[in-house]
Amino acid sequence: MWEYITFGLIVQLFVSGILFGTMYGIAAIGLSLIFGTMRIIFFAQGAMIVFFAYICYWFFTLLGIDPYLSLLLIIPLSLLLGVAFYYGLFKGAAALEDRVSSLLIAVGLIFLLENLMTVLWTADPRSIVTAYTSYVLRPWEINMPFTRLMALLIAVLSTAGVLLFLKKTLIGTAVRAASEDVVSTALMGINPNWVNAIAFAIGIGLTGIAGVTLATVYSFDPVYGFVFALKAMIALALGGFGNVVGALLGGILLGLIESLGSFFVGAGWNEAIAFVVFLLVLSFKPEGLFGRSVEKG
Amino acid sequence: MKSKISVIIAVLLIIAFITLPFYINVDTSYFAYYLFLVFCYITVAQGWNFVAGYTGQISLGTHAFFGLGAYTTGIIWLRDITKTGYYFDPVLMVLSGLVPVILAIIVGIPLLSRLRGDYFAFGTLGVGQIVTVIFVKARQVTGGADGLHLPSAVFESMKPYYWTSFILAFFATAVVYFITRSRIGLALRAIKEDETSAASHGIHILKYKVFAFSVSAFLAGLCGSLYGIYLFHINPDSVMNLNNWMFYPLLMCVLGGNGTILGPIIGSFFVSAIFSFGDVYFKGTHPIFSGLLIILVMRFMPGGLVGLKDRILSRG
Repeated sequence: MWEYITFGLIVQLFVSGILFGTMYGIAAIGLSLIFGTMRIIFFAQGAMIVFFAYICYWFFTLLGIDPYLSLLLIIPLSLLLGVAFYYGLFKGAAALEDRVSSLLIAVGLIFLLENLMTVLWTADPRSIVTAYTSYVLRPWEINMPFTRLMALLIAVLSTAGVLLFLKKTLIGTAVRAASEDVVSTALMGINPNWVNAIAFAIGIGLTGIAGVTLATVYSFDPVYGFVFALKAMIALALGGFGNVVGALLGGILLGLIESLGSFFVGAGWNEAIAFVVFLLVLSFKPEGLFGRSVEKG
Repeated sequence: MKSKISVIIAVLLIIAFITLPFYINVDTSYFAYYLFLVFCYITVAQGWNFVAGYTGQISLGTHAFFGLGAYTTGIIWLRDITKTGYYFDPVLMVLSGLVPVILAIIVGIPLLSRLRGDYFAFGTLGVGQIVTVIFVKARQVTGGADGLHLPSAVFESMKPYYWTSFILAFFATAVVYFITRSRIGLALRAIKEDETSAASHGIHILKYKVFAFSVSAFLAGLCGSLYGIYLFHINPDSVMNLNNWMFYPLLMCVLGGNGTILGPIIGSFFVSAIFSFGDVYFKGTHPIFSGLLIILVMRFMPGGLVGLKDRILSRG
């Protein structure tokens, strides 16, 4: 194997890894916001992403809407769904700080969504094929598929959007405050339900965005989501729980680990390698690789 | 008075379950298969209950211990290591329980000493996934994705499976019942309530946590061994299934009532009934309703089915 290694190949592995990892990054930002205010990992994240990928697929095949254009419809839809989820499902568990209940509600959602999707769209893998799906940019002999570059661009834009929202708006400041200390925030007169609902809305909104990028880049099937949620969780831990930029960087780092790991060790070991890194980070640097040192959640 | 009645009811139920194969044909009855599954789930769920309900550590790696138990059975049997009878061999089953205990101690010491609360839950999930990948990859020992095929010619009847599963469920319940009522149980509950305070009263936190984690691993391994002998085909999909052997037992505990001795039992009967019913009447679509039901129950009854009764029956 070693004799095949050239500089170009290494660069290619890095580029693929980064482009690959941005998708984990978007999902991880959503997990990060929800974890920040509610202290739960929303495991149904992956199922939601696949669900929105199917919605995007429907918009494309039934109505002929371009996947990137369908973001304009999917983002509001997913934000609304996020608020509805919070008030409909998680409000009670959040009030009791009952994390096992929240976890199980998420598991129930996974069962519900995965099987609903299997009934609606069958278990066969689907993908969206547009005119630009196979278009590949080749600067300096490095393959950069157009759809993956778009995924990177969308990821960077959504991270920037979420950051601006958190830093520049009053509601965003409230969300940030609640992730630092829920009780004090409530004492300052901020309704914790309201903050949680906002965090949930943005979290689900990001699954909508991730769903669209997934639909344009890969073929997907109803049960693909759970592995994706686990990967997003790893990305979240690498970047530091509750750290938005860290979550994106963590996703990219995970993409790099997987890209290099599948070349040097073998593709089947990817998950194990990712989880070993995850355990090491959890044990020795629980604040994440990119975070400032904060108290454990 | 009330506790006397409940003891009588419990004894009558136990006798009914033990003698059941004499009234109905266990080999053809779906009900007997349902009970077999329920008893398996009770065994695993009591183990989880012991760690989460009594010690307060949420583990998401039960499927790894269950699968390790099943694989230990398969490997010992196929390689003829212990030279005992293998088919329902107690030596084999106890060994299959002890190997997961070794894993529980090896991963438990670093995880439980460094990680708390949510972080421990994520860590165990990670360990579970790593173990699964290793079992798929270690093809020479585990047969990879295809798994191990045990000699199924020894199969005669469902009866021994039924009785063994009942004994395991009974054993698991008894172990959890008696440990939680001993000094160890007090220590575990103190850890659940407040670790700092427990430590200041001279409780060695790590030792007790690892002990609870090991007991749970032992029960999961025992049950995995039985299930492996039942399937005769041990592969990652069947015995390391994240849904079947991690989320379902967890669900049963929480639905029934976490941290009570009756909770996992009621939860196992209830959840298995729903899944079995759905499997028979709504084949293919039933997880939609199961998912909906989980959401509704957790949304409106976060305390589980054991509501007031547990105060009378189990809070000693």
